[in-house]
Amino acid sequence: MLIQGLVAIATVASGSMNAGAVPHPTEAFAPSFASVLRSQGWNAADESALGIGQAAAQATDGKSEKKPEKKKKKKSDAIAPDEEVDPDQVVDGGGDAGHFVWKQHPSIRYGKVFRLDVQAKLQEDAHGSYAGARGVACPSTPLPSTCLWELHRNRVGIEGYFFKRIEYEAERELTEQELTDKDLLAGYTPTSLWKDVDVNVSYINNVQVQAGRFKVPFSLDELTGDSHNDFAYRSLGASNLAPARDTGVMLHGRFFKRGLNYWAGAFRHDGDNVRAKKIKGGDGTFAARVTGTPLRKLNKALFSSLELGTALTISSLSDDSFTPNGLRGRTLFNHDTFYEPVYVKGHRRRWEGDIDWMMGPASARSEFMWVTDDRLKQGLGDQDLPDARARSWYVSGTWILTGEPKSRPVKAANELLRGGFGAVEAAARYERLWFDSVNGADKDASFRNPRTNSIFPRGERALTLGVNWIVSRWVKLQFNAIREQVEDRETSPVANGGASWSRVVRFQFVL
Amino acid sequence: MKRFPFLIVVVVVLSGEVVRGQINRDLVIGQAEATPAPSDSFFDDTVLHDISLSVNSKDWRALKDHYLDDTYYPCDFRWRDQVLRNVGIRSRGTGSRSGVKPGLRVDFNRYTSKQSFLGLKSFVLRNNTQDASSLHERLSMLLFHRMNIPASREAHARLFINNQYAGLYLIVEAVDQDFLKRTFAEDGGYLYKYDYPADSAPYYFEDRGSDAKSYVPLPFKPETHDTDPRPEFLVDLVQTINQTGDAAFRSTMTAYLDLTKFIRHLAVEKFLSDQDGLLSDYGGMNNFYFYRFDNQKLFAFIEWDKSEAFKGGVEYPIFHNITDVPAAQRNRLLSRALSYRDLYDLYLDTLIECVKSANEVEAGSADPRGWLEREVERESNQIRGAALSDPERNFSNDEFEQAIRDLTAFAQQRGAFVTGQANAARVP
Repeated sequence: MLIQGLVAIATVASGSMNAGAVPHPTEAFAPSFASVLRSQGWNAADESALGIGQAAAQATDGKSEKKPEKKKKKKSDAIAPDEEVDPDQVVDGGGDAGHFVWKQHPSIRYGKVFRLDVQAKLQEDAHGSYAGARGVACPSTPLPSTCLWELHRNRVGIEGYFFKRIEYEAERELTEQELTDKDLLAGYTPTSLWKDVDVNVSYINNVQVQAGRFKVPFSLDELTGDSHNDFAYRSLGASNLAPARDTGVMLHGRFFKRGLNYWAGAFRHDGDNVRAKKIKGGDGTFAARVTGTPLRKLNKALFSSLELGTALTISSLSDDSFTPNGLRGRTLFNHDTFYEPVYVKGHRRRWEGDIDWMMGPASARSEFMWVTDDRLKQGLGDQDLPDARARSWYVSGTWILTGEPKSRPVKAANELLRGGFGAVEAAARYERLWFDSVNGADKDASFRNPRTNSIFPRGERALTLGVNWIVSRWVKLQFNAIREQVEDRETSPVANGGASWSRVVRFQFVL
Repeated sequence: MKRFPFLIVVVVVLSGEVVRGQINRDLVIGQAEATPAPSDSFFDDTVLHDISLSVNSKDWRALKDHYLDDTYYPCDFRWRDQVLRNVGIRSRGTGSRSGVKPGLRVDFNRYTSKQSFLGLKSFVLRNNTQDASSLHERLSMLLFHRMNIPASREAHARLFINNQYAGLYLIVEAVDQDFLKRTFAEDGGYLYKYDYPADSAPYYFEDRGSDAKSYVPLPFKPETHDTDPRPEFLVDLVQTINQTGDAAFRSTMTAYLDLTKFIRHLAVEKFLSDQDGLLSDYGGMNNFYFYRFDNQKLFAFIEWDKSEAFKGGVEYPIFHNITDVPAAQRNRLLSRALSYRDLYDLYLDTLIECVKSANEVEAGSADPRGWLEREVERESNQIRGAALSDPERNFSNDEFEQAIRDLTAFAQQRGAFVTGQANAARVP
């Protein structure tokens, strides 16, 4: 292990020297260097031996545990294509001349002046659900029919930097369909095929500036990259309530060695998730998010990766559109609408709190979201109505059966075609999403129409059980079984309001 | 064993009602229509009704601005002393769609599936923007009723939106599961609306091959069972019409369609000088629903939208679009049906039956006018005030009065013209 560590250090160091990379003056060298080592498969025991990183910190703060930490299973040395790498530690071993390398991605580099990585992400699903489910319906067929296969995501993109501190990225979806002229004339809202298209200026780690199109900083689950999510589908709250991407400008940074992170930005609208063909969505949005590891001082071994987060957004809501502009509730797998949007006007306020914990091969996550929409002058007699409200929560957990330490993405210690089997992870999530109005859930006086004074409460509960097989750094297979039940029989897509099971096997390839 | 004699009786009775594997629908329809419905008072055409809708003012503007869109808007509904909340309305119609005086579909169960009004889940408020008299549809449906052909019940109403008079409308019974149950005593079958977009090729029941997509969802748009519309039965029907030899045609078609009812349906349309019915002047077919009975191959035509009736005038030929058009533009089903002598004679007989019905004088009255002429007078008197004060009317008051005069002339003269043509067409 020590030899491997030295080799890694030598590799990284030589790359740094070749690239002429110099750590930024505001950054402490050792902890960041340790994070690179960890990304190369280094573990705490090795860090301790070298006197760096968290293990070293434990050894020097006088409160270290005397008992040596149990040796963890070593992860793969190579960086997975969808693995997030600290840009401060990007190392180029090719010198100042332009050259092509393929470490994490196929990449063209010119010293610290320029870098362009090519990325691709493909997710192909085989799925099934209840009879007649729209989630498994074949697209663009005049008669209802069921398709076993779905090309879920098919994205290509580039990312890189200029002069090391001006980072850029651009990603485009290739399988989604553009709206027709007829759709546009009918007032449908176009959905952008462009995903992340932005520039990030990172001269100061504490205050970085990001501009372009990217995710509004709200919801732990929504902000987790789709290729290394623990489940095939994001949670009900993330899918229905969180904003997702929009165009804007954001300040973000980190303090205390990532012990405190913040994001605060202004966006043109309030994200793609809450817009649809006939839902205009909110306008000008302010969003802020803070995460931190406040408990790590108490017990580093236990709480160093226990991260708490909270976020809020405030958006303006207009009733300019002739169709309701509120949130909608759709089921997890089939996207059956169990809650139609209501008419809204005024402001939309979101708040969420989340917790994310990784401990050895296990992890746990939970998140609660709360959203209210004003309904000014939205009654049948143009009177103000009580706020529309949406809430959601989920709890989830994972366990890597093959023993690797939990990370996102999971890194297999022994990949399938390199003499091993890959990594196998079990996952489970239970969640609820529900809607009503703030004046309570008096079912006798509440209705389902979009201008009702008291909104008839509607919601869904879902249980997802999954197994993830990380075959290699490029390939992952996800097996998910999803049990869903809409709480309102009237809007349930299943006869008599019963529960339904859906299943999906996802093949994922990232480059 | 005690049940055995009873079973024999049931079998004997049923055997009399079953014709080639299907229950005699005449009996069923007769029984179903004879039963008084709770909604009869809503379609009582002896009075001019008042209907009030409370709608968000922005929604009413949006419905007019986006009248081509089928977006639903919530409202409260009032008729007489009955108020129903949580009701949905949307713009409707094809050629009659209007942003000034929108035709409306009113759905009582839009937001709550179990909600109904007098047993109705929905109805239509027809704006009559293509009919200066506003009477074409109502008069036509009455004649269908008199001819014992299933048709919607109708009555006129003044519509008030947020207490403002919004115009004269026609209350039209929707062809939906309620209608099916009332008319056919069942609602579990497959209902299609013939949908004829302006940019699509006219359809004459020609064989478009065995691909179901050539028939569903266009031109036969599923109204029930939309996730499993079973188009193969339509394919079978069309292919039977086009591919079955003469010797087997009648017997084979019996399982799919009652040809006598089809012929009678067509004859009534023709008497009414309907320019946009089963044999449309605008090409192909139009304005009907098609219903396949539950667990059977049997289909039935259901009348819809007669705003273009009477427009062909008194001298609208009884074989127009039948014999006076090129072969490619002839309805394949009708062409085959009329090649049989009994069906040909039935067509002429039904036309004469329409003449008699339209000209029937009131029993015990000295009034020499026929039913149709009297009905034109009765209905026009009933709606005149509301029509002339309609703030969104599409026609001038003079045009309304002229249209009534034209209808009166039609009622007086159409019978003689049709009788003359029918007699001339008789084959010895």
